[in-house]
Amino acid sequence: MAVQNNETEAAASGLTIVNTGCCHDCGGRCVLKAHVRDGRVERLESDTGAAPQIRACARGRAYRQRLYSPERLRQPLRRVGARGEGRFEPISWDAALDEVAANMQRIKAAHGNRAILFLPGAGNQGMLHGPTAPGILLTLFGGYTRYWGIPSYEGAMFASMATYGTIRTGHSRDDLLNSRLIIMWGWNPANTIWDPETSLWLARAKEQGSRIVVIDPRFTDSAATFAHQWIPIRPGTDAAMLLAMAHVIISEKRCDQAFIETHTLGFDAFRDHVLGKDDGQPKTPQWAAAITTVPAQTIADLARAYATQKPAALVAGWGPARTAVGEQYSRCAAVLCAITGNIGIPGGYAGGFMRAYSSRETGHLMKKDPAQRVDKAKGIPSLNPVEDGALPRPDSLYKLSGGTNATSARIHQSKIWDAILRGRAGGYPADLKMAYIVASNCLNQYPNSPKGARALKSLAFVVVHEQFLTATARHADIVLPVNTFMERTDIAPPWLGSPYYIYLNKAVDSLADTKSDLEICRELAPRLGLAPDYFQQSDDQILRTFTRRRPDIPDHDALRRDGVLKIPLPEPIVAFKEQIAEPAKHPFATLSGKIEIACSHIAEMNNPRIPSVPKYLSHPEHYDAPLAQRYPLQLLTAHSKIRTHSTLERVPWLQELESQGAWIHPADAAARGIRDGEAIEIFNDRGRIRTTAQVTERIMPGVVNVFQGAWYTPDESGVDLGGCANTLTLDEPSPGGAFPMNSALVEVAPAAQAAAEKK
Amino acid sequence: MPQYGIYFDQTRCTGCYTCVVACKDWYDLPAGPASFMRVKCIERGTFPDLFAAYLATPCYHCAAPPCVAACPHQAIFKRETDGIVVVDAEKCVGAAQCPKRCLKACPWGAPQFQATLDARMQKCQLCLERLEAGRQPICVEACPMFALEVGPLEELRKKHGDQPQAEGFKYLKRFEPSVTFKPKEPAQP
Repeated sequence: MAVQNNETEAAASGLTIVNTGCCHDCGGRCVLKAHVRDGRVERLESDTGAAPQIRACARGRAYRQRLYSPERLRQPLRRVGARGEGRFEPISWDAALDEVAANMQRIKAAHGNRAILFLPGAGNQGMLHGPTAPGILLTLFGGYTRYWGIPSYEGAMFASMATYGTIRTGHSRDDLLNSRLIIMWGWNPANTIWDPETSLWLARAKEQGSRIVVIDPRFTDSAATFAHQWIPIRPGTDAAMLLAMAHVIISEKRCDQAFIETHTLGFDAFRDHVLGKDDGQPKTPQWAAAITTVPAQTIADLARAYATQKPAALVAGWGPARTAVGEQYSRCAAVLCAITGNIGIPGGYAGGFMRAYSSRETGHLMKKDPAQRVDKAKGIPSLNPVEDGALPRPDSLYKLSGGTNATSARIHQSKIWDAILRGRAGGYPADLKMAYIVASNCLNQYPNSPKGARALKSLAFVVVHEQFLTATARHADIVLPVNTFMERTDIAPPWLGSPYYIYLNKAVDSLADTKSDLEICRELAPRLGLAPDYFQQSDDQILRTFTRRRPDIPDHDALRRDGVLKIPLPEPIVAFKEQIAEPAKHPFATLSGKIEIACSHIAEMNNPRIPSVPKYLSHPEHYDAPLAQRYPLQLLTAHSKIRTHSTLERVPWLQELESQGAWIHPADAAARGIRDGEAIEIFNDRGRIRTTAQVTERIMPGVVNVFQGAWYTPDESGVDLGGCANTLTLDEPSPGGAFPMNSALVEVAPAAQAAAEKK
Repeated sequence: MPQYGIYFDQTRCTGCYTCVVACKDWYDLPAGPASFMRVKCIERGTFPDLFAAYLATPCYHCAAPPCVAACPHQAIFKRETDGIVVVDAEKCVGAAQCPKRCLKACPWGAPQFQATLDARMQKCQLCLERLEAGRQPICVEACPMFALEVGPLEELRKKHGDQPQAEGFKYLKRFEPSVTFKPKEPAQP
């Protein structure tokens, strides 16, 4: 077939090229150009326009097989078997929506709005579609109970707020060229993207002479591609290595003393902890070597390099913060950035949440009237009537502006299953009766899936908006089939925040009987007796209200026409440039106006598990805990390059690319009689999964990696044949709200042996 | 005639497989054994001293292609204009009717057969329709690392150097594959 050079030629052959973009919850948001003929997408291209090109990865390029998957849900479904059994009958939209509305009215009347649990997910990342409209609908209906905490980053976000008072702590990626040394700590953008072009800038930085060190329990693709040096580290011990680096820097007087005095608060307490003056244990490299398995000399060398080869970028990834005390690692990393004076300068980096450019929220664009400022200690206002006026959680950073909503009316996301099962008697804010689930495969992606299945089975009513019959959808009473981004109009802001926007033009009509989340709400609103005002607007009208608020989108129609708006930066973004250049004029957004090495807000919590100065702490599922006698292997649940969380599972083009088996070191495999490619079971007290072994040198001994996102598929005895990592993870957040996805102890056995032992 | 060839910067390849999937989408190849572009992972060493590299493997459009010589039905030939090795699906008699000597002849696995019995040989033809329209092949335009380039081999060699070796690739003089690399070397700490 001939290639189309231009739109005219394309149109003549019946081909239309529609500018859209990939819009799931990965680290990207990339340009896609859909070649459409006779109402079908027949090919995809990505960005072929002006630099910088926002090129889609394999996941985006494979999208046709998701769009046209035979497994796409095509009609509304009503449960006919037991909850979770997965037996459904197709019904009409009218019947489905009537049933949803009737159950909502019934539960509201009997138990109040508080009993309605809303679980919005990140499955769609457009500004318009996904959970936005259902959230507005439920607010108008009188409110709902929801969660706080996001698995990806909650520990990193807490640390970012506590230390800097903001989540905008990142540099634009072009600034990597200014770094003499780049330390990629638990950061694998080759697979997780971390905004498009990040890997490309890392390659360029390496090519022009930056030295790159990767610290990770796995020899990741990022380590293989970019690292001059790979330092494997025992999971959950990152804070110990960071403290030991601080010990070298402080005891050898390599700190940036002027920076510390001008810009930070609490250094003395930190120094005393590092030197062991508070607890008698100096945090030397020898001390850390025993904990981390990293040789003391390696730790000392890296510390010296980091302190002397300025500017140096310590990029503290989020994975090591997805642990039982994850915020300690993130806080330690930020403190190391501060005491070496690597903050606010080109080529440096501050750690923290690492957003560089705000394309996702508009709060900072609105002028705040100081007179309107509320004292959150007396109650936090909310548009959601169920939450309005609730007191802040005592373990939150409620005195700061931004970050996680501090309301005590919410339940930590990792405790949602426990809250459903135990309700107010268990200390939770509500007795939950129904769940309204949108764009979320929560049963798969929240920790402790087996408990999640019990919880969903216990509810009176579950409705799920979905594109596929996921584990979560299998536990619904009514499943409402939703279209994909190819079948509707939306705007996609970049993931963490890069200077561009993508307009997702609708490429094709909705498949079969599917609808957008917004269309569903348009039809549900009158059934609930709600004012239709919001829902009567067209998709483009609502999108215009988004773009109007953004001064960096000067022309909505041009964005729609071109499909992408790339905002040129006069120079690289450097976080805290103003704060460092003119501290008197530009205080940090913390309570003290300084970088808080010791955080007074944390000190008020008075909890030894979350000290005001960051520390290395153990926990009940750490390698040195008593439980490690029974379950001696540490589980990692890293991100796969062929899925986006649980989205894009079951896409044949992606599934054939590489094995999704559990990574296990040859020594650990040999000790258990496990051969490469063999069926194995991985288990602990929470659950048991069946998968295959990928025996590889690329993971350190004592550690097993299961890529998160595989679909939870328990058999009759409860063994998860889908190999979902969260069948094994712990549903207990850290004091700062971090999700312990990388803090589970497990044992592994050949599947045949495991089956024999069970008999 | 200019011989078209491929430049691959192995130091940049992260093994993301975008080229593989972009190609499958563009040519509408189902999941399965046929893939015009493959990415091979090369791993060496024992923990913690490891090395890993990826090799993008399309057809290297040899100057003396062994597949052309091997085909009993003269279905594979080399274009005079650009040296691109193409297959005539009409002449290919299909998997079940043929000893498939092209498969054994190519040391890099370029000839592809889908799983069906009557599958005709298919292969990377360097997106020649795209080249003729002034575009780069789909894999080149897809690579997020800008690690691939296609053009007259002499121009590629002038621009990037003449380096016929890379990790996982064995250069065979008798076939003269039309490729030049920036090979990946083990890390020097």
